[in-house]
Amino acid sequence: MTDDKDVLRDVWFGRIPTCFTLYQDEITEREAEPYYLLLPRVSYLTLVTDKVKKHFQKVMRQEDISEIWFEYEGTPLKWHYPIGLLFDLLASSSALPWNITVHFKSFPEKDLLHCPSKDVIEAHFMSCVKEADALKHKSQVINEMQKKDHKQLWMGLQNDRFDQFWAINRKLMEYPAEENGFRYIPFRIYQTTTERPFIQKLFRPVSTDGQLHTLGDLLKEVCPSAVAPEGS
Amino acid sequence: MEENEFFGEKTFQHYCAEFIKHSQKIGDGWEWRASKDCSDGYMCKTHFQVKNGTAVSHQGTSDHVQTFLPVEEALDPPLDDLEVNETTTAAEVIKYEYHVLYSCSYQVPVLYFRASFLDGRPLALKDIWEGVHECYKMRLLQGPWDTITQQEHPILGQPFFVLHPCKTSEFMTPVLKNSQKINRNVNYITSWLSMVGPAVGLNVPLSYATAASQDEGNVDGQDSSIERKSLEEH
Repeated sequence: MTDDKDVLRDVWFGRIPTCFTLYQDEITEREAEPYYLLLPRVSYLTLVTDKVKKHFQKVMRQEDISEIWFEYEGTPLKWHYPIGLLFDLLASSSALPWNITVHFKSFPEKDLLHCPSKDVIEAHFMSCVKEADALKHKSQVINEMQKKDHKQLWMGLQNDRFDQFWAINRKLMEYPAEENGFRYIPFRIYQTTTERPFIQKLFRPVSTDGQLHTLGDLLKEVCPSAVAPEGS
Repeated sequence: MEENEFFGEKTFQHYCAEFIKHSQKIGDGWEWRASKDCSDGYMCKTHFQVKNGTAVSHQGTSDHVQTFLPVEEALDPPLDDLEVNETTTAAEVIKYEYHVLYSCSYQVPVLYFRASFLDGRPLALKDIWEGVHECYKMRLLQGPWDTITQQEHPILGQPFFVLHPCKTSEFMTPVLKNSQKINRNVNYITSWLSMVGPAVGLNVPLSYATAASQDEGNVDGQDSSIERKSLEEH
């Protein structure tokens, strides 16, 4: 993992230049200017948009404000997906900045999870980390950690602290010397073309004859439509 | 997770199939839905309940007594048989959906549920609680599960409430161990659902239990280490 430190930093510090515009039907007391922000790819919309919310609420009356939600070209944005994932899935072929529309009413109950507080984001994030460890280590590493370590992981993400985060995460990325890798590799494959939100299956890092699996092996097995057939 | 709680997806599907067979016998409404690409699926049940209120005629007073009409082993009454009077309106019919999915990460079943009015307006979790009997509310507070949270349904992609699965193997192990000891066949799904279901308003009639002990189905030996002993006639 130490060899990959540069890659880890590049992934962590990835940013998407974004322009937030208030939905035209929202009721305002005066014109709302768009708000520009660099969004961290590894974080969550509702975690990093407090300033966006404050900016637009300044021109609105309290009674016209309920739960904030975001939309891109008519598609409600799932706050529980990492920002980088949302961008790659929906907007990567469009010119920057990413244009997101901000709403304060008519929350789309059928599409989006509610996000009443930061605690909900933390619970969701930790739940993902725990599920990943169930696959990697039968939950042994995450369960052996103290509550303060879990908290440090979350605070590292919330406050954009790479070192603070990785001090704990590196333990979740280790495996015993005698093994060739994790028990199963935690992965999810997202596509816009399917009704199913993502593909997630059990997949071992090593084949039965001892060969290390590649990303290509994974795709061939769980998402063959994404891989060109041999010889074409 | 220990190896002797290993409960693979094939085993899960087998127990669901047996559960549904009995459901069909008693008209309990469970069915299997395959995902569009057919690689997996889930068990689901939809039922309707009327929220019965004795509303006071003038606005403003909150003198409501709200209980849900219980629906036991009998079939749900067809909607057009329900009497519509001044205290029952279409807006108060609530549609409940319960889905049983398999988690390959935790290797246990997971219960997803949601409720909405007929016009599509969803119920919040606290509204669903109002329909749960007091004794089950206590169980929910003391139960061996973390929380109920809102999550995205992994096959449909829509918001559902979920009973968190990470402690399931903890409370199911004693059930399975005991059934091996007393030489009884146990349908994992029946046992599990009868424990978690009532806490969220889902009733599992007693006849499922007697049906499970007569189950002669064969489980794929490769992915279940739950020992199958020979059945005894009851």
